[in-house]
Amino acid sequence: MSEDRVTEALNALRGADLDIETGPGAEVRALLAFRRQQRRIRFRRMALSLATSAAAAAAVLWLTVPRVQTRITTAPEVAVNEPPPIPPQSQPAVIHKSAAPRRSPAPQAPEEIATDFYPLMVSAPPLERAMLVRVTVRAAAMRSVGLNVGDEHLADLVQADVLVGQDNLARAIRFVSYRNREE
Amino acid sequence: MSSIEQHLLKRLLKGDEEAFAALYRVRHGAICRFALQMTGRKDLAEDITQETFLALALHGNRYDATRGSVMAFLYGIARNLVLKRLEKERPEANETVVEEFAGDEDLLGDLTRRESIDEVRRAVLSLPPAYREAVVLCELGEATYEDAAFALGCPVGTVRSRLSRARALLAKKLTVKCMVL
Repeated sequence: MSEDRVTEALNALRGADLDIETGPGAEVRALLAFRRQQRRIRFRRMALSLATSAAAAAAVLWLTVPRVQTRITTAPEVAVNEPPPIPPQSQPAVIHKSAAPRRSPAPQAPEEIATDFYPLMVSAPPLERAMLVRVTVRAAAMRSVGLNVGDEHLADLVQADVLVGQDNLARAIRFVSYRNREE
Repeated sequence: MSSIEQHLLKRLLKGDEEAFAALYRVRHGAICRFALQMTGRKDLAEDITQETFLALALHGNRYDATRGSVMAFLYGIARNLVLKRLEKERPEANETVVEEFAGDEDLLGDLTRRESIDEVRRAVLSLPPAYREAVVLCELGEATYEDAAFALGCPVGTVRSRLSRARALLAKKLTVKCMVL
């Protein structure tokens, strides 16, 4: 068969197929599939964005906490026989006078008051030895353990005692404030 | 047309449904024909057409306008999908198809008849995929040699040589006497 006849045959086939298209409703089906695909893409992007934000927040927290700790003075190590009483988080915070102030107050020094300890670990290993570390944190940290803090005070700096176990893990935290003895 | 399609593709990649519909309306026929002429099955061709446009929405950012048209890119996607399906659903050896349509007379003498066109179709379908896609794109489709080269991922010279070889095979298949006798 000559080249021309092959061309003729192919042209005939092309002409016969010229009107071939997808069947009725195919465009609608394709559009619906496109919508589903776009929904999946948007969901994946949102999940990725949330995961990235959470990772960034965790990284900031991780980087910030050690930096704060290096600025504070470490209290002397104390022997602990039993864990301090830790009230359930649902109870309102009770601010009370510490039974034994940590530092011997100078005359006219403001009186130190502290909250109860709030657990930082869900199931902590037994506490054999511990030390209290005085740190400065944002007041927002108080809200994270369930204490009421006004929005306008979230960025304020407050002092806190972190109870660190023999394994160097932070077990609990309490927040400290001062008031004048005259009050 | 090409710049309009590039603009539509940009909008499509941002999730624009109208752009998807517009591009689909303009190009689905060509893609469907390509898939049908490559596979010989209408149902498969329709699936492949839809998948091609969805893949374009997903991977369209890989399109490089300096390498070819959006249509050529679409052909490339469709071609990959066709080859995957053919690999999965390989029905019978090509030789069997040759035996089916080979006759002892020149089939083009009566090309106006439907059967003759079907025989040409079968002859095309019996070509090895590499030759078939060159014929389908350049002879039966709307692709230029450059577009075909972009879609097939090979140089233009390769497209030309495959086309030449394919035409020779077709000539032989359409005139050869029944090989089984």
